[in-house]
Amino acid sequence: MSDKDTFNATLAAATCALLGSAVATPVVAQEEASRWSFDSTLLYYGESDDRVQDVSAAVSAVRDFGDERKLSATLTADTLTGASPSGAIALDRPQTFTSPSGRAVYTTNAGEVPLDDTFHDTRFALSTSWTQPLARLYTFSAGLGFSTEYDYTHLGANLSLARDFNKRNTTVNAGVAWSQDDSNPVGGRPVPLSQMLDVGNNSNKRDGSESKDVLDLLLGFTQVLNRTTVLRVNYSYSDSSGYLNDPYKVLSVVDPLTGDTLTRVPVGQGPDGVYVFESRPDTRTKQSLYAEVKHAFGKPVLHFSYRYMTDDWGIDSHTGEIRLRWPLGEGYIEPQLRYYTQSAADFYRASLVGGAALPRYASADFRLGEFDATTVGIKYGHDTASGNEWSIRAEYYQQSGSVPQQQIIGNQAGRQQYPDLSALIVQFGYRFKL
Amino acid sequence: MPRRRLFLALALACFALSAAAADPAADPLDLARYRGKVVLVDFWASWCEPCRHSFPWLNAMQARYGDRGLVVIGVNVDRDRADADRFLRDVPATFQIVYDPSGALASRYDLPGMPVSYVIGRNGDVVGHHLGFRSGQSDDREAELQQLLEKSQ
Amino acid sequence: MKKTSLCLVLLALSGCAGVQPWERDVLARPEMSLDTAPLDAAIDDHIYFSKEASSGGRGFGGGGCGCN
Repeated sequence: MSDKDTFNATLAAATCALLGSAVATPVVAQEEASRWSFDSTLLYYGESDDRVQDVSAAVSAVRDFGDERKLSATLTADTLTGASPSGAIALDRPQTFTSPSGRAVYTTNAGEVPLDDTFHDTRFALSTSWTQPLARLYTFSAGLGFSTEYDYTHLGANLSLARDFNKRNTTVNAGVAWSQDDSNPVGGRPVPLSQMLDVGNNSNKRDGSESKDVLDLLLGFTQVLNRTTVLRVNYSYSDSSGYLNDPYKVLSVVDPLTGDTLTRVPVGQGPDGVYVFESRPDTRTKQSLYAEVKHAFGKPVLHFSYRYMTDDWGIDSHTGEIRLRWPLGEGYIEPQLRYYTQSAADFYRASLVGGAALPRYASADFRLGEFDATTVGIKYGHDTASGNEWSIRAEYYQQSGSVPQQQIIGNQAGRQQYPDLSALIVQFGYRFKL
Repeated sequence: MPRRRLFLALALACFALSAAAADPAADPLDLARYRGKVVLVDFWASWCEPCRHSFPWLNAMQARYGDRGLVVIGVNVDRDRADADRFLRDVPATFQIVYDPSGALASRYDLPGMPVSYVIGRNGDVVGHHLGFRSGQSDDREAELQQLLEKSQ
Repeated sequence: MKKTSLCLVLLALSGCAGVQPWERDVLARPEMSLDTAPLDAAIDDHIYFSKEASSGGRGFGGGGCGCN
């Protein structure tokens, strides 16, 4: 069979055989007997100020079928508790909000950044992928992914093809991924820019789920630069359409002079201020350029990466990350540093001005604002006598943002404008072979 | 007159030296020694994952066809002998091993990839090479060796 | 115009860079793989995706021992 015939035949066979979601498999040397390799991890994520806390466990299994054919599956479970900023601004007086279910109220103390009503949520995710060579220089991979939580489900599929050149010094790969996410918010989906209403009044909430479709394209290029250095450059394009709002996020409607939230009198139980639900466009196109380099200085390995992202919501971001893996006894120590900065979305508003015409889109979600974030961390890994590895990683993540000067109105200037975030992440890992 | 003799002597010495360099006896692989046999020269390294699977097959070939005239030679390209030794402890070889830590042999053959096996007929000609090791190809490769062993030269 | 020059740079890089197949000992080390800790990467991506507006960018393939 010529190389081309083999290619076509295997492509046909592989297309029938496939499923799983793309989970990259680490390069692990294996003996004849050990065809299974596992990677497990336990993670704790905790934000300061009683905000989000998350505990998650994940197990990843890879089965090697020989001749570079691999099947991998990853199962993740995590439980989330706590609350994130709802988008409403802090005031010098307490504030009352209707909870997302529409059945109760919750309050925020004076001077505090309002957080969503506390929630508990458990999420399960399963992803699997199959990788195999199609012909000597071609590698094919396909995957499926699924995740579910009480108000959200995700289903995705991906395909990719890689081709080697220059005695395998150069690799070009192209990938495509589709996903469909369904959102079924507690209490129903609020009409964008409608006001938060009293308890029991669901007139601005819509039943049923809404979906979001995402198409991702990736074009990658890997190049061996020299005996100790490898470079990878990726271009990605992502197109989302459908329901892109966060159904729980609001904006405060404020007085044009004082900058304080307009008050209202609830009928029975309800909000004591004027808040409207956010509104985002129903499409989003993102493009990013990513480059990473790994360089070995003798035994230690330095890893550096940079990513630039831009989208049609007006957000531009830069991410720089550096890790240094230093051998230590029977293992290694790896300090890491990450710096991230993003600009605000065009429709980001710290608050809306009462009396002014409502903009078409507006969101006070801190994740769409302008901020810098830094992560410092360290990982220690230890190889056991049987060739397995356990590891521990600790990171500290700090986010601090700012609101554009022209959006700060009256009394807002004297208060915390941006809900800065700091979180501690601790992770235990264990890798073993069977 | 004496200068011309000196020149001639030097020229002859240079010629003799270069002839010695081309002399198969100076070649670590010394293929001339195996003229009349079928030789399988396999380039391997401790970091080469497929080599863990090719060695059992190479061992089997050497055992099965050794007395019919097959010689398997494994050329190791590790820079550090210790790495090669560690690999051989995990995956033993019952065929001859030649060490090429400087990569001189690898360069001479201009290996297109790793691992790679060169098949040399009884007359000393390189019949072909196999790039990579795939268990699915081992039957075909064995048939090829059988065919070459059948030839008298 | 920018895209063309990027392509040319990449093409040029692939022409003059690279190593011989028997010189991939360092690149074959697990810590030199670009996908050395996929679970860590997946977790990080998930955390940052839920706290920031950017996501992903990483792909897979290439580097390593270049075997087979």
